[in-house]
Amino acid sequence: MPNVLRADGITVKFGGVTAVNNVSLSLGSGEILGLIGPNGAGKTTLFNAVTGFAPMHSGRITLLDKDITALPAFKRTRLGFGRTFQTERPFEELTVLENVLIAAFLTVGRRSEAERLAMSVLEQVGLADRARQPALDLNLARRRRLELAKALAVKPKVIFLDEIMAGLNPPALREMIAFVRSLSGQGLAVLMVEHIMEAIIELSDHVIVLASGEKIAEGTPHQVTRNERVIEAYLGTD
Amino acid sequence: MTKHLIGLGVLLAVGIAYPAIFPNNLTIAISVLLFAGWATSWDLLGGWNGQVSLGHASFVGLGAYLVAIGQSQFGLAPWWTMAMAAAVAAVLAYLWGWLTFSLRGPYFSLSTIAVAEILRLVAINEEWLTGGATGVFIATLPEPFGVDLFSRTAQFYMALAFAAVVIATIIVISRARFGYQLRAVREDEDSAMAAGIDPTATKLKAFMLSAALTSIGGGIYGIVLAFIEPHVIFALLLSVQIALTAIIGGRGTIWGPAVGALVLIGAGEIFRTTFAEANMLIYGILILVVVLFVPRGIVGELARRHIRRLYAKRAQG
Repeated sequence: MPNVLRADGITVKFGGVTAVNNVSLSLGSGEILGLIGPNGAGKTTLFNAVTGFAPMHSGRITLLDKDITALPAFKRTRLGFGRTFQTERPFEELTVLENVLIAAFLTVGRRSEAERLAMSVLEQVGLADRARQPALDLNLARRRRLELAKALAVKPKVIFLDEIMAGLNPPALREMIAFVRSLSGQGLAVLMVEHIMEAIIELSDHVIVLASGEKIAEGTPHQVTRNERVIEAYLGTD
Repeated sequence: MTKHLIGLGVLLAVGIAYPAIFPNNLTIAISVLLFAGWATSWDLLGGWNGQVSLGHASFVGLGAYLVAIGQSQFGLAPWWTMAMAAAVAAVLAYLWGWLTFSLRGPYFSLSTIAVAEILRLVAINEEWLTGGATGVFIATLPEPFGVDLFSRTAQFYMALAFAAVVIATIIVISRARFGYQLRAVREDEDSAMAAGIDPTATKLKAFMLSAALTSIGGGIYGIVLAFIEPHVIFALLLSVQIALTAIIGGRGTIWGPAVGALVLIGAGEIFRTTFAEANMLIYGILILVVVLFVPRGIVGELARRHIRRLYAKRAQG
């Protein structure tokens, strides 16, 4: 499978603390990569470094063989990154449709066409009937879907999902899992940080396990869940 | 969109008829219109983009001085000097924004106070150009198509055209991609970047356009005053008044700044004539009431209630 995204030797330091140490990953189109690890393992930091929202100490990132290491976050978006935020960040003063419209305007300049694109994305995530509602009024599950819609409306090649399953009730979780699978079915490369193992095991083609900023295991979901170092990292040792 | 265009039509219709109906109240109307235009320009940056400037007097002064100096020293007609003022204001805004927009928090606002102060000192000290502390006087003006630009009626129509052009600009921008980029940056810069928006570039564009528009109004103000003194035109009070007009009327709304101008400048005039020395007190109380009870400003609060009502109705039905 040809690589869409490659990150080599990513290291992030905060002062004297190394939050992510020399982690590499690669991702092909239609592939789902799960990033797991105990709290404080550096998952979100790695995620932010790759998407350009946290400064890197060293490492190299390529998107479709183009070096994007030095590019700011918004330029990475323009080249094909879409991301959600762990704590949903809708533009609260605006309606649901306007929220997605902002993202749609990245690829479409004309308002009527951008609105059409935004509406089709809202239909895809099941929020079309809420389009005219203020974003502030959405409940958690719908805010998650709005985050997804915003990430999809930039027409990304790689989508980064930061704990979009957390806190969802079982039916909403099932829907979300099915939805993420459909994204990879459309050829999108998916990188997801997730705590819900059910989702990771069902969806991931490949899993990377982080602990204390280091990659301690990688492989298929099956392989990593049996890995002793992983069990140790999650449960601790006596 | 349509209702805003109708609003603009009403403004123009009332405006065109105004001098014939109230020929003795032109000066106050000119003030209201100029403040409406300035506050709306300010709001492009302060309301729609969330970057509060306390230095917009800089651009008013720049426009006024360029028109006055151009006329008195170089015999340049105001329309040329106003175009120059818009360009100079945009360049000044670019340089200032480039230095300060990487700072998050209140630093941009604080730094804008300094711009007007620097320009004031330049105006006082570069006497050969600006007439120093005594100021510049416009003694003659060209008469395009036989119109006397010193007449209050002509000045009223210039102020009306200025306010209408600025409001029309906001109406267009509010619906366009740029308007949404402005709001996205105001609401959340990280989220904006995730949508591919460059926050700094967006703020720079907003600041430049806001400054250019303000300076054109400043040029008209120069003609209205005919006598420009540095401590009046570059005063912090003027910068604060422009910001307050927009904030009280309603930040980030199309008509808020214009309504603010009508209330503040109109009321200010009534207070001044009725309450004499007590007028600043009442002005202060008015600001306090708005900040405490109508934090979104007059139009902002009305718009919000309207949306809530519509939405509640739909949720019931």
